[in-house]
Amino acid sequence: MDRERKLLIANTMIVTMARLLKDAENVFMGVASNLPFFAIWLAKKLYNPDLIWLNIPGRVNPDPSFPPLSTVHYEIAREGSASLTLAEIFDMSARGELDVAFLSGVQIDKYGNFNLSFLPDEVKGRVKIQFTGGAGSALIYPNSKRVILWRTKHDKRTLVERCPVVTAGGNLYRVVTSLAVFKREGKEGLVLESIHPYSSYKEVAENTAFPVHPAPFTPPPTPEEIALLQEFDPEGIRVVEFD
Amino acid sequence: MGKVKTLKEAASLVSDGDRLAIGGLLLQRIPAAFIRELARQGKRELKVMKTAANYDFDLLSFAGCVDEIAAGFVSFEAEFGLAPNFRKAVEDGRVRFEENSCYTVIASLRAAAFGIPFMPIASLGNSYLVNKFKEIENPYGEGKVLTVPAIYPDWAVLHVHKADEEGNAVIYGPVYEDLIMSRAARNIVLTTEKVVSKEDIKRELDLVVIPGFKVRAVVEVPGGASPGACYPYYDYSSEHLKRYLSIRDLEGLKRYLDDVNP
Repeated sequence: MDRERKLLIANTMIVTMARLLKDAENVFMGVASNLPFFAIWLAKKLYNPDLIWLNIPGRVNPDPSFPPLSTVHYEIAREGSASLTLAEIFDMSARGELDVAFLSGVQIDKYGNFNLSFLPDEVKGRVKIQFTGGAGSALIYPNSKRVILWRTKHDKRTLVERCPVVTAGGNLYRVVTSLAVFKREGKEGLVLESIHPYSSYKEVAENTAFPVHPAPFTPPPTPEEIALLQEFDPEGIRVVEFD
Repeated sequence: MGKVKTLKEAASLVSDGDRLAIGGLLLQRIPAAFIRELARQGKRELKVMKTAANYDFDLLSFAGCVDEIAAGFVSFEAEFGLAPNFRKAVEDGRVRFEENSCYTVIASLRAAAFGIPFMPIASLGNSYLVNKFKEIENPYGEGKVLTVPAIYPDWAVLHVHKADEEGNAVIYGPVYEDLIMSRAARNIVLTTEKVVSKEDIKRELDLVVIPGFKVRAVVEVPGGASPGACYPYYDYSSEHLKRYLSIRDLEGLKRYLDDVNP
């Protein structure tokens, strides 16, 4: 994939997630959350300056001067309005006070559950492929009001019918992938809400392991959104997940 | 006997089979030099825990020092990818990975810190992790409540900015789970950027978050979190991490451990 294409996908995913935060009260991003970092930063600049930004370094409302590669980098702790430790942010989620959280999984299934734990070896009855572990997601997913799942890959191994292991499931708001946006509708599970403008219904359908119906295009990034992102991130840190 | 020790002396206090809570988070303020010394001393069957780890647990898995890891997340981020030696050790069955939610690690340490056998926690929904824990009837009302057991670390191993010779220690910036670990553990070992006088420590009394009374060893290791970061003194070293991640076998690991000082 060339760099232009990576930037196009990253920008589209970032602005799509940022727009989902227009009415959010507070938002949490965890480890390895490069694109949510940019989405929250952009949302605060353009759409929701009062949005409360919570993170693992535990500084409320950070004001990073550059985008770090790690979303637990101390640049995120350098500025802020107050401190709240990770344990206390989890407590906040446990109390039902966390509004929006960004989570991700290696596999995301039709019901919005995800697997970030392992692939079982059916023959030997043990772990075949060990993933990273779900970090705080098992608590955060069912206890936060709205969870946005994000995934920089979209293929049949990623968007699956049913996860063999459920690391976390719960209050799904949207799934934003490199190709499309899903929401959850009752028993039907995930339904396509929009298709990113550079993709197509055919491409999404061919790369999703459960049936999908046609949907309109995701509104593309505006020149203003792109200019802000480019100014903040001239090096293109936001494409690191696609390398 | 004084608590100020060499890295070698401090690591020798840890016995094979001990349970260690390791401070810091991912690449932030980890006791990396102490971890390398555990590996050099060939510790075996250690049980380690923290919420989110990478270099420390990956290296201990690689060196064969651990048989159990309890954590919510074990991976590098962004350009460094997954934790390859951790994965391989778990997939080969050499290390048992007790996957937790970060919150259940915290709750187990809190239970130990509070002196109670278990901790009730909020629901984990339909996560498979629920199967690892026990539900009890709510003794004060309706329904059931999920619990996690207390876990008592033999050691909390923490890297701090400053400590005096009694182990009263100052941490700048995020504390992660270090304070909970220090309360839950039976013993504490500190590596510190600098050992300072008692007078020095008193000048920042409000930042002295670790009282020295459970500290058994204080080791001065400038750069002791490297290749991790120690805010605000130094950032993580990409070059060092790339070198570590390029090691392919135990001989390479031995050369690396001999070469990196401390």
